[in-house]
Amino acid sequence: MESQDDGELVRRARRGDEFAFGVLVERYQRAAYAVAYSVTGRHEDAEDAAQESFLVALRRLEECRSPERFAGWLMTIVRNRARNLVRRESLRETDQVPAAASSSTPTPDRVTESRELRGLLREALAGLPEMQREIVLLHDLEGWKHREIAERLGLPPGTVRSHLHFARKALREVLSASPQDADRRSGK
Amino acid sequence: MSHGRKVQDSATDELGRDMAVAELLGPLSPEVDDPSYWMRFKTRVMRGASGELARRRLMADVTVGDVLVSWARAVVPTAVLAAALAGLMLMRAHVAPAATPARVEELLVAGMESETIPATLSRSETETQIAFASERF
Repeated sequence: MESQDDGELVRRARRGDEFAFGVLVERYQRAAYAVAYSVTGRHEDAEDAAQESFLVALRRLEECRSPERFAGWLMTIVRNRARNLVRRESLRETDQVPAAASSSTPTPDRVTESRELRGLLREALAGLPEMQREIVLLHDLEGWKHREIAERLGLPPGTVRSHLHFARKALREVLSASPQDADRRSGK
Repeated sequence: MSHGRKVQDSATDELGRDMAVAELLGPLSPEVDDPSYWMRFKTRVMRGASGELARRRLMADVTVGDVLVSWARAVVPTAVLAAALAGLMLMRAHVAPAATPARVEELLVAGMESETIPATLSRSETETQIAFASERF
């Protein structure tokens, strides 16, 4: 089933095939989260946006004119949902809730370190343009290839490469200058 | 800044994944703290999608063929019956009395009461127009 192409899975999901839709969710949940995170910069919002996007995509599956390009279509929905969420949140002006603690109850030290690192990463990512954030997360966090990103997001491969280059450079500069990163690396 | 240089010099394959950046970004993945995160993510999405998927299954069951068959089941017999009735009416309309050639005797007595000629003639002279006319003639 994993080897089935998106087009076939989308066509089956249109007929209400739960298994096919499940495969699509499993295949793109990480990427959807990464794209949502690149917009919102917050775990909770990224999670909400990504989950809602799958449901919106299912309801509008007939609007996906090229089922083979489902991923790109889905990422557009995710991006729009995430942007709407950010807009709503900014209107509400709510305080940012710290990242949710895990269910696997890590040690307090690890939680602190993880939170600090996340905060730092969030700052570093926030300094990047949205497209660079999205591409670097898809590529270096989710493992998508240049070609896949270009095809799925409908961007020229050169643009993807360029965004990735600048994003990596900026991230390295910010993160390598931080004492936490230095400690973390020297500890390893 | 020397540390920054070290990071920049780390293994970077422009066509592949930058492992240094990937390592740095790693903590952003929700599964770092919760290995079952993606499983629960999928479960939540599937739960939310169950209604829509059920609706789609129902719609998929009713195919275009099914709609046509159910439509045909009601419409075709009605159409056949209507056609039969119309045909019958047309046939009846065409069964008009055939125009038979009129004979000379019939033309002569046409419009006259069915009485014998002597009976007609025996009436008084003023009784009918026909008698008066016959007298003059």
